[in-house]
Amino acid sequence: MDEFNDNEIARLLRLKRYEQPPPGYFENFLHEFHRRQRDELLRQPVWRICLERAQNFMSQLDMRSLASYPTAVAAVLVCAAIFSLKVYQQPETARVATQSPLTLSVPVNAEEEWNLASPVAPQILRMQPVRSFRESAQTHRAAPPRYVLDSVPVSYEPTFRF
Amino acid sequence: MSPLSGSKRSAIAFALVFCSGAGLLFAQEQSATTISHQVRGIFEGAAKAVVKIHGVDEHSEICGTGFFVDPTGTLYTAYTVGGEAGNFTVEFGGKKIPARQLLADIRSGTAILKVDETTPALPIGKSEELELATPVVSIGYPLDLPMTPNFGMIAGFDRKCLGRYFSTIHLRVNAPTQRGEAGAPLLNMKGEVVGIVVSGLENNSACYAVPIEAAEKIRSDFVRFGEARHGWIGVNNVSPASKEVDGSRAMVTQVADDTPAAHSGIKEGDVLLQVGKKKITDPEDVFDASFYITAGDVVPITVMRGNQKMTFHVQASRHPASRTGGVLVASPGTIPGVLPMSLDEDAPPSP
Repeated sequence: MDEFNDNEIARLLRLKRYEQPPPGYFENFLHEFHRRQRDELLRQPVWRICLERAQNFMSQLDMRSLASYPTAVAAVLVCAAIFSLKVYQQPETARVATQSPLTLSVPVNAEEEWNLASPVAPQILRMQPVRSFRESAQTHRAAPPRYVLDSVPVSYEPTFRF
Repeated sequence: MSPLSGSKRSAIAFALVFCSGAGLLFAQEQSATTISHQVRGIFEGAAKAVVKIHGVDEHSEICGTGFFVDPTGTLYTAYTVGGEAGNFTVEFGGKKIPARQLLADIRSGTAILKVDETTPALPIGKSEELELATPVVSIGYPLDLPMTPNFGMIAGFDRKCLGRYFSTIHLRVNAPTQRGEAGAPLLNMKGEVVGIVVSGLENNSACYAVPIEAAEKIRSDFVRFGEARHGWIGVNNVSPASKEVDGSRAMVTQVADDTPAAHSGIKEGDVLLQVGKKKITDPEDVFDASFYITAGDVVPITVMRGNQKMTFHVQASRHPASRTGGVLVASPGTIPGVLPMSLDEDAPPSP
């Protein structure tokens, strides 16, 4: 403040007395203020915006009445985690996989199968080349074995032809 | 001789009734004991040739049952066990030994595996000798349990189930079976194999077994050609005739053009009497008869045309389902001493 003496300050004030804002300044002041505020907000990182919104939301809630819910949810999650860990660490018991039965489409009238246009014909005698399972052999070692006995035979004949 | 008093007569009558009742009970017990001894004898005799099979398919490890049919380690099992899996091992002689697939045939529902060991083998019987209610024994590995005998009886010779026809007659057996017993041998009371368990039935209280002849046909094909060769003559439709002709109602109603049947002279309207060695009495019989036709073989087919009985010798071609690609995995040379025969697809049909 020592740099300015009273005379200089008085001169500056005289000059400022005649300065006027541009036309429409006061009319647009509020609009401009909001625009700059939005710009400032958008310049923040996304995580901060989310955090602020979450804080606002939480502050609007009645935390005392809701305090029991997070506690209960946390307790359930901890229990589930402990239970799943115990199940995972259990020694494998002899579990029996269910053999998926072949889907049987029973014709309404068996006589209809006596013609060439049998709808089940493409499913019959699916002579597929036997696949190589060398690559998958190691993949399923940990799975429980499947004890095989299908509920229906694997092959049927389509029509009365030979 | 003084007449017996009333009380003495009652006592004697009571004693007689008691003795006869006790005799019946004793006889029943003896009968049950005899059956039990027989089943145990069959079980003990066959147990060494029955093995537990492990494999890996695209989903998980699988377990099933199989049995040796020759001393070189050839074993039969169900297609569901040995058909679409790999990395086979067999529990035999207290150890696990690797096995490889020789052949898998979905049409018969069987597969043939092989181990490189000298093995015991089950004798092959004849399923044709079975009758309704003939007692049979199956031996399998249910779940993860030890080898188990099941005793039951032949409940039927089924051509179809739930409206769909089997490729060959299946033996319906009223014997309880569990998962893991697919591929188990079905034995007659002489200890001979008469079938292979391929599937269960409702609640696993019964099961279906493929006749051993079907598996033997596939093995025979493999020995001859290195693959299963299902035959086809080109009769496209067989319908029930309006009246029975010479004991048969199986009438040919469609013959495909340019097929062995057409070339040999079989015509629509012919009533089939015999296909190969199988007699035909109704249209359903053609499934079982045609199953045993081998592509390349000449099959005698007897028909009635009008009042004339005719026999045609038809050289079967390959079954349409076999032409798209077989299921042979092993090379034909895997059985020592067996030279695979070639089959000329375009061989002209016999006149």
